[in-house]
Amino acid sequence: MDLRHLLFTLALVCANDSLSSSDDLLRWPQISKCRSPELETFSCYWTDGNLYNLTAPGTIQLLYMKRNDEDWKECPDYITAGENSCYFNTSYTSIWIPYCVKLANKDEVFDEKCFSVDEIVLPDPPVHLNWTLLNTSQTGIHGDIQVRWDPPPTADVQKGWITLEYELQYKEVNETKWKELEPRLSTMVPLYSLKMGRDYEIRVRSRQRTSEKFGEFSEILYVSFSQAGVEFVHCAEEIEFPWFLVVIFGACGLAVTVILILLSKQPRLKMLIFPPVPVPKIKGIDPDLLKKGKLDEVNSILASHDSYKTQLYNDDLWVEFIELDIDDSDEKNRVSDTDRLLSDDRLKSHSCLGAKDDDSGRASCCEPDIPETDFSASDTCDAISDIDQFKKVTDKEEDLLCLDRKDDHESVPTLADTDAQQPHTSTQPERSESWPAFADSTDSASPSVHTQLSNQNSLTNTDFYAQVSDITPAGSVVLSPGQRSKVGRAQCEGCTEQSFTMDSAYFCEADVKKCIAVTSQEEDEPHVQEQSCNEDAYFTTESLTTSGVSLGASMAETPSLEMPVPDYTSIHIVHSPQGLVLNATALPVPEKEFNMSCGYVSTDQLNKIMP
Amino acid sequence: MALARAAGQAGPGAALALLWLLVRAAAPPAVCAPGDSGCLRLTVADLFDRVIRHSGRIHSLSTALCAELENRFPPRDNELGKPARRCPTAGMLTPNGKEYAQKIPREELTYVILKLLHAWKEPLSHFNQHIEHHQELPDDSLSKAKQISKMVHELETGIEKVTEKMQLMGIISNSLHGMASSEASGFSSTNEANMMSDSDFIHCFKRDSNKVQCYLKILKCRIMPENSC
Repeated sequence: MDLRHLLFTLALVCANDSLSSSDDLLRWPQISKCRSPELETFSCYWTDGNLYNLTAPGTIQLLYMKRNDEDWKECPDYITAGENSCYFNTSYTSIWIPYCVKLANKDEVFDEKCFSVDEIVLPDPPVHLNWTLLNTSQTGIHGDIQVRWDPPPTADVQKGWITLEYELQYKEVNETKWKELEPRLSTMVPLYSLKMGRDYEIRVRSRQRTSEKFGEFSEILYVSFSQAGVEFVHCAEEIEFPWFLVVIFGACGLAVTVILILLSKQPRLKMLIFPPVPVPKIKGIDPDLLKKGKLDEVNSILASHDSYKTQLYNDDLWVEFIELDIDDSDEKNRVSDTDRLLSDDRLKSHSCLGAKDDDSGRASCCEPDIPETDFSASDTCDAISDIDQFKKVTDKEEDLLCLDRKDDHESVPTLADTDAQQPHTSTQPERSESWPAFADSTDSASPSVHTQLSNQNSLTNTDFYAQVSDITPAGSVVLSPGQRSKVGRAQCEGCTEQSFTMDSAYFCEADVKKCIAVTSQEEDEPHVQEQSCNEDAYFTTESLTTSGVSLGASMAETPSLEMPVPDYTSIHIVHSPQGLVLNATALPVPEKEFNMSCGYVSTDQLNKIMP
Repeated sequence: MALARAAGQAGPGAALALLWLLVRAAAPPAVCAPGDSGCLRLTVADLFDRVIRHSGRIHSLSTALCAELENRFPPRDNELGKPARRCPTAGMLTPNGKEYAQKIPREELTYVILKLLHAWKEPLSHFNQHIEHHQELPDDSLSKAKQISKMVHELETGIEKVTEKMQLMGIISNSLHGMASSEASGFSSTNEANMMSDSDFIHCFKRDSNKVQCYLKILKCRIMPENSC
């Protein structure tokens, strides 16, 4: 039983399937579209479907109903619009009223549609397309044309009942894709830059202004320039902008320009485009030395630099240099000292000689008894090749300056401390700077000093810096006192001083003279000679001029002087304002007496070196 | 006797004043002379062009707004939708075709246009108030609706001015006011309008704006004597 049921259902299904497949799919009649070409009439079109076999043919009706109607009415015109269509003329058309149409077969309704006529406007295609040549390019390759057409004849655009928009499309004959232009209201359109050697196809379609759907396309317009009798140049290939060539030539040009600039002799141009990279450069100094040189060499070179020499004449350094007050390291003292020193040096000298002052900022000419041994020790220019030893020396030399009293040993170290803090290179020029100034002042003071000196037994009231202790790398001369007092003692010690002087690199000839002449000369002479000696120990032009005279006198006075002491009395070279080189007018001094130490050249040697 | 004496005493001054008043009353209002360069003289055709352009813009705006609303709220099936689509101007008699528009007198056509515009003013303002509370609608749609409302006001004012000018020039008669008062208002109450959906409402307006535009075009054509409208 079940098997039979199964077989039966299977048979039915197969029959059904066969039936349906044989007839394809049963298509119902459908209203394909309703359109109004001019907003005055409209038509509806439908498809038949394949119901002919099942139903009686020709019984399909189109019924319509307006909004205000109560019943369905039949289509007034089945013929005008063609087969399977219904045409509604103007009398049956109400524009802004909703319609409903339905496709029915007696009782069976196949399709229904509702619309309003103003919504279904699809204009007819434009007619009478034509084109005219506007102009051609100078090469004759391209040309402009103007295309114009007439609006569809059914649309009443003249009265303005309907407003149409047009869209033009064109393409070359052998192309597949159409180029579109923007929809516009005018019925003429220019087409620019068409190739004269090619043929074109143009078509136009229209739509109502506020709707979106376009009507059908017009007939295709063929544009052929040869027919118009226009001469044209047949170009096989299109000319494109040669970007590749532009890039190549641009690069070459740029390279050539750069090379020319590099090779050009015009330094300004070269500097403008290739500015020189600044390297560290100090005038007069080899940059290599800065990189590789030793510290002492660098320092020596830097010190010998011009800029440092200018500091010699800086008045401010006076203050620092004169700072001798150990107890009172007040700034005011310095200033007052400077003022005193510069303005009132005579008074100073008087007071110097007169009494000891607490004011330690004054020149060291006010020094009372100064232990000579200290000075001598400091005067020796040991083999100082590096800064440290030099510092020692400088410190000691400063000791000489700062000595106020005998008992200011404690001041020495403190001063040394204060001085040590100063940069070494600056202290040297300070000192040496002060020397000449000091020399000036003392020079003026010297007559009074000398007069007073003569009154005094003590030779060490004033410290005459008559000995050149060393020449700084800056070229300044550092004087030190010493032989003065030593001379005084030399009277007692005799010519042991000679050995002493030998130890020092520099010595004053007067000291030697005194040493020699002590035994034979009176006491006055040493003074006189001291004077002269002192005078020419101070390397100032004034003193030298006077010393030249006095020395001559002294020379006359001491003919017995056999010591071959060079008489540095004449100025050989004036490296103004850096210094003076004095000529030795006497016999050459044996070199062994001079220690060539620490790289400092003695004045003798300087003389020999420099002609 | 006394009066005559008084009139005589009033003298020529009074007479002159009276004469001047009469002349003033009789003279037509000042209009630009044809050759006057400083005065920009607009012809009726120019005015109509402007008005037609304005109505075209209204129609474009309403079409766009309708499309936007229909995208958001898909309309019901294509039914006649009698209860749903009850436009505010449903009861109004308007020419439904070109021939009718050509047949009716120009005054009546002008009046129909004005009536249509007037009928939409209030519903549009209500609509604007209504959709402002809508959080779903984008600002673009809201601004369009506001602009439509404003432009309808402007268009009505403009058409009234053109009508006055036409009446002044004798193109149409002055019987308009009579027609306005006689005919009862054909627009439905605001209650019914509120029952419609937004898209239906704007659909109605779109159609009416198209009507106004077409009527104006026909009217312009009819006013120009050279056109065979």
